[in-house]
Amino acid sequence: MPADTQPMLEIQYATLEQQGETAQFGIWVFLTQETIFFGALIFTYFLYRITYPHEFVAAAKDAVLWCGTLNFIILVTSSLTMVLAINAAAQDESPKRMVRWLVVTVLLGCLFLIVKGYEYYLDFEDRVVPVVHFVVKPGEGSAGELFWVFYWIATGLHAIHLTIGIGLVLYMLLWRIRRGEITPRYYAPLEVVGIYWSFVDTVWLFLYPCIYLVGRS
Amino acid sequence: MTIGPEIDARRASAIPFVIAWIVILLTAGISAWTAFLGLGIWAPVIQFGVALFQTSLLFVLFMRLKGAPSLKWVFAVSGFFWLLFLFGLSMTDYSNRRGWPPAQAGGSQLGYHQPNSIGASPSSKPRKAMRSALILSAV
Repeated sequence: MPADTQPMLEIQYATLEQQGETAQFGIWVFLTQETIFFGALIFTYFLYRITYPHEFVAAAKDAVLWCGTLNFIILVTSSLTMVLAINAAAQDESPKRMVRWLVVTVLLGCLFLIVKGYEYYLDFEDRVVPVVHFVVKPGEGSAGELFWVFYWIATGLHAIHLTIGIGLVLYMLLWRIRRGEITPRYYAPLEVVGIYWSFVDTVWLFLYPCIYLVGRS
Repeated sequence: MTIGPEIDARRASAIPFVIAWIVILLTAGISAWTAFLGLGIWAPVIQFGVALFQTSLLFVLFMRLKGAPSLKWVFAVSGFFWLLFLFGLSMTDYSNRRGWPPAQAGGSQLGYHQPNSIGASPSSKPRKAMRSALILSAV
């Protein structure tokens, strides 16, 4: 075993490859339960949308389509830059290209949160914050408020997940990479973060039609 | 033998990922376009179909389900099946409730609908519910 792999290899593994594969299994097990978590949320949405179709259409008209679409583009692009960072980690001895892509990924993640924050501001102005600042609009009925409850919970949980993702990428940048722990011989930690990042992206792929594409015609 | 583009991080080029990224954005455009066409019930069907397609691209390429170790598929597929059970069994319940979904105009004046009890009428619904649950359990 090369001497430079020693500090990275945990005692319970025979090789770095085995350690990396175990890390990948770990993140997939975690994502399985995350799938159930967001699945239950989206199922609840479907249930109420089927029960109150007209109210949901009326309520969803107030969702800010351009913010949702822009965030969609930002998030999908950030998944691409994350993948390119992992490729760079696996292929280059120098961390320069990996660091560049990771910085772009973090910036895109932050941009997503800024757009989301601005959208929340517009929502507050539009008085669609249940309990706190809400006005029932014509055609919505009080069931329209259910749509906005879903909106705030779903987008809020998504934003929390994305914030955790940004934190993980920063941890990679400021700690693991600086200490020389992400190399072509062992880049599993970054790959695990990348899988998590793309999963958070996946959640938005479903939230987008749930929230922004309802009641547009 | 590998089928399709090479996505192993040690050898992969950026091209398959860039193509997938373009496809996801283009299909998102189609999805958004359908929202303005007045397709009725077909609009969400297309939109969520597109979302499923985009998700499969992300899972297979960006999250590198394709390639070694194949055991990853066990976890990914188990997540899918758990989701299927969640949706399937819950919908079996709701779809067999009398008066659900409501005939519209909002259920009541408040806009809230009170679901009725399961199988309150001598209809074939309880039998249908049992059949659906059995099929799902068998799966």
